[in-house]
Amino acid sequence: MSNDANVKFRLSNSELWGGLIGLAFGGFVTWSGVRLKLGTINDPGSGYVLFYTGILICVFAATIIVSAVTEGGPTLASRWENTRWTRPLLIIGCLTLFSFALDTFGFLLSAIPLMVLLLRVIDPVRWSLTIPLSIAAPLGMWWVLKHLLGIQLPSGMFEIG
Amino acid sequence: METLLNVAHGFGVALLPINLLYCFVGVFIGTLVGVLPGIGPISAMSLLLPVTLSGTPESGIIMMAGIYYGSMYGGSTTSILVNIPGEAASVVTCIDGHEMAKQGRAGPALGIAAFGSFIAGTFALIALMLVAPKLASVAIAFGPAEYFSLMVLGLVVLTFLTQGSMAKALLMACIGIVLGLVGLDSITAQPRLTFGRIELIDGIGLVPVVMGLFGIAEVLLNTEQAIKRDVINTRITHLLPNKEDWKASVGPVSRGTVLGFFLGILPGGGAVISSFASYALEKRLSKTPERFGKGAIEGVAGPESANNAAAGGAFIPLMTLGIPPNVVMALLLGAFVIHGLQPGPLLITQNPGLFWGIVASMYIGNLMLLVLNLPMIGMWVQLLKLPYNVLFPLIILFTIIGVYCSSNNVFDVYVMIAFGVIGYFMRKLGYEPAPLVLAFVLGPMLENNLRKSLILSQGDLMTFVERPISAACLALAVVLLIGPLLPALRKKRELVALDEGA
Repeated sequence: MSNDANVKFRLSNSELWGGLIGLAFGGFVTWSGVRLKLGTINDPGSGYVLFYTGILICVFAATIIVSAVTEGGPTLASRWENTRWTRPLLIIGCLTLFSFALDTFGFLLSAIPLMVLLLRVIDPVRWSLTIPLSIAAPLGMWWVLKHLLGIQLPSGMFEIG
Repeated sequence: METLLNVAHGFGVALLPINLLYCFVGVFIGTLVGVLPGIGPISAMSLLLPVTLSGTPESGIIMMAGIYYGSMYGGSTTSILVNIPGEAASVVTCIDGHEMAKQGRAGPALGIAAFGSFIAGTFALIALMLVAPKLASVAIAFGPAEYFSLMVLGLVVLTFLTQGSMAKALLMACIGIVLGLVGLDSITAQPRLTFGRIELIDGIGLVPVVMGLFGIAEVLLNTEQAIKRDVINTRITHLLPNKEDWKASVGPVSRGTVLGFFLGILPGGGAVISSFASYALEKRLSKTPERFGKGAIEGVAGPESANNAAAGGAFIPLMTLGIPPNVVMALLLGAFVIHGLQPGPLLITQNPGLFWGIVASMYIGNLMLLVLNLPMIGMWVQLLKLPYNVLFPLIILFTIIGVYCSSNNVFDVYVMIAFGVIGYFMRKLGYEPAPLVLAFVLGPMLENNLRKSLILSQGDLMTFVERPISAACLALAVVLLIGPLLPALRKKRELVALDEGA
């Protein structure tokens, strides 16, 4: 990471954003703790530990924000500098699509396209290996789980698998 | 005499064919993940956590333990031959191990790493056999205040040793506690942070959280970089160290073993810190410290022994107190819980077959590792050539199936994917997931013990400082929390800070 990437009090400061997310989360946890009832010190309620943990989260997040403002920190862009950032992004996209498809189409119909996509997205594997591997790996696992271990994977609306 | 009888009973359990098979599978997979850079023991154990469901508790835990200490052995292979640590505890082995390989002495480096690991592993097991029952009998007297303070100390030590900002590590630990509290309150049965989802009533599962944070996130991070491997191509010969090598290594192996074992017992400590500490100690004690970094065999023998001894020592707090000292042990705790078992002071007396069986299997596993690591070194080197563009999609597929099988619930797959993405962004922004996972496991226990202590003491906070063990733990935790504010201690922390996620 270059030194130019260290910036003071700019909105692109990644430390600032990390702290703000922490602060928001801490606020939510504290509020949840209050809502769940704190109880008393000799009979703590369900929200007791949540409330104080939420306050601690806010304190640590505030420390991070203060340090980001006073000492600066790397920009968001510099965190991905000189990396092949499109690959994780594509994998996240593939996994999101898979998570939507899994319940509807079942394991086999969603895992085979997922494997094809992953094998071609990361560092493209040749098609002659991609196709057999994408079919054999999910099919093999499905067979082992269903027939040897008696575990039923989701079969989806077409009831395949 | 009683110990010998127990050991014999343990061997009776460990030598059952099914347990031998699970032990072999564990050490084999452990060596495999140790050899392959990018996949550490945490990822592998989280991947295989659901598999433990299919057998007896002994078999599952024997396999999980095998993965852990197996990865300590395997990690040295890549450090020496490729200059890429297979897992975090082998980082320091790269320094002199790879130098030795470049000088044509890869064989003795691999040999001393394997023998040192074996000796240290054996010592750690004997010590575990002797110390654990004694500590367990003391721990029976522990009350909720002691447990609460011990858990606080464990979390603080881990955050102290985590790389980067301590505020970030503490923030992660607090988030872990909150996530651990999702679901029904164990005392009032009131649902907490469930957002009306029935799947969250039982809380968030450990398997999807760990698989997401360590499995998926690790793959996402690794795909960002083009992994280059410069494997030493020369034929590896003379795996047995010669007389001079042994003479130079006796001291480092002995010191590394003892140091590693004690650092392994400490909450928050473990294999990584012990390997660094051993290297620093050997360099300081050496009459020729200038040789370190240029292929000194002591720089391989000490750290490799230390990380294996620490792996054995880390079982003590888990088995005797039921408190995992690090993330790996938290996963093992998960394996116990999956089988309805609670490690702690009563485990040794109520379930001696399980405890002594695991200990005996670790000894057998150490022997298996010696056989796996030396004659089969050529096979492990070949594995280093496995293309990552094929391996990563397969890991993702395994994680999906693993998570689904652990609960037969598609919701857990969504949770894993979500934690995978969160884990990736966390790591990119410098937030380490290790404190989060340990706090996630300890969170419900911590809350339970805190509330019990307060109820029993009728709200008197002095209960935590009036009891000596509790007071000592809290005092140490306070020192570690304040410590980084002092420049000298901050520098020391930065030196020993570790990356548990690797």
